[in-house]
Amino acid sequence: MKQKTESNNLKELTIQSKTSYLNKVRAFISDEAKKFGFSDDEVSKITLAVDEACTNIIKHAYKNASNYPIHLRLKARNNTFEIMIEDQGMPFEPDAIKMPDMKEHIKSYKRGGFGMYLMKSLMDKVEYKIQPGRKNRVILTKYLQ
Amino acid sequence: MRVQDELRGDIVIIKLKGDMMGEPDTAAFREKIRELLEKGMVKIILDLSGVKWMNSLGLGALISAFTSVKNHNGDMVITNVTKKVESLFMITQLIKVFKHYDTVDEAIAALE
Repeated sequence: MKQKTESNNLKELTIQSKTSYLNKVRAFISDEAKKFGFSDDEVSKITLAVDEACTNIIKHAYKNASNYPIHLRLKARNNTFEIMIEDQGMPFEPDAIKMPDMKEHIKSYKRGGFGMYLMKSLMDKVEYKIQPGRKNRVILTKYLQ
Repeated sequence: MRVQDELRGDIVIIKLKGDMMGEPDTAAFREKIRELLEKGMVKIILDLSGVKWMNSLGLGALISAFTSVKNHNGDMVITNVTKKVESLFMITQLIKVFKHYDTVDEAIAALE
């Protein structure tokens, strides 16, 4: 695990693609979100959204292989708290993944499919930038009210 | 995550303590449900007072438990949900699916 702080409120963390490292990610994000001025409730939501993004990368982009990097870059400026998360795993088409109709989804008792729904519900903005064969990038943004 | 259970007549109260953030957190819970269903214990109350937070994998574990209990013609209800976890149930609309009660006594009355 590597962590570094740059100028202009830019902070970075790189972990290996193992779920046991997600507690480091949660600690990093929750500390920074708290420092930025978010309420405890908002801190929990931001932290969960980032946890979900990293879990998706481990499960889907890296297919649970544990020796690949997940790179997080946090930019906290003015009222904008932006977390960019990059991986070099399998590309995907975010638009092809349909948001589940949660009522129907739950009725059929499907256990998965909550990750992306949660991320979009918990954050103000979720953007994907996919460069097949190079890297996948997701940017999660929350505005401080 | 710690999993404790207590028998009240034919109802089992499972008390969970800790965060439900996927494996290995949810493994003990999943094993407890399997063990109870094997013994024919199909009336279950989940006391979530000790669960401060969960992610999509934790939510998935709950849904999976509900499915298993339902498939055994049983019933599972939830009690003592913390505010933060309740907010997740609201976001995911699981609040409409899980029968939830404020206290263990209310949950027992509902299952009797």
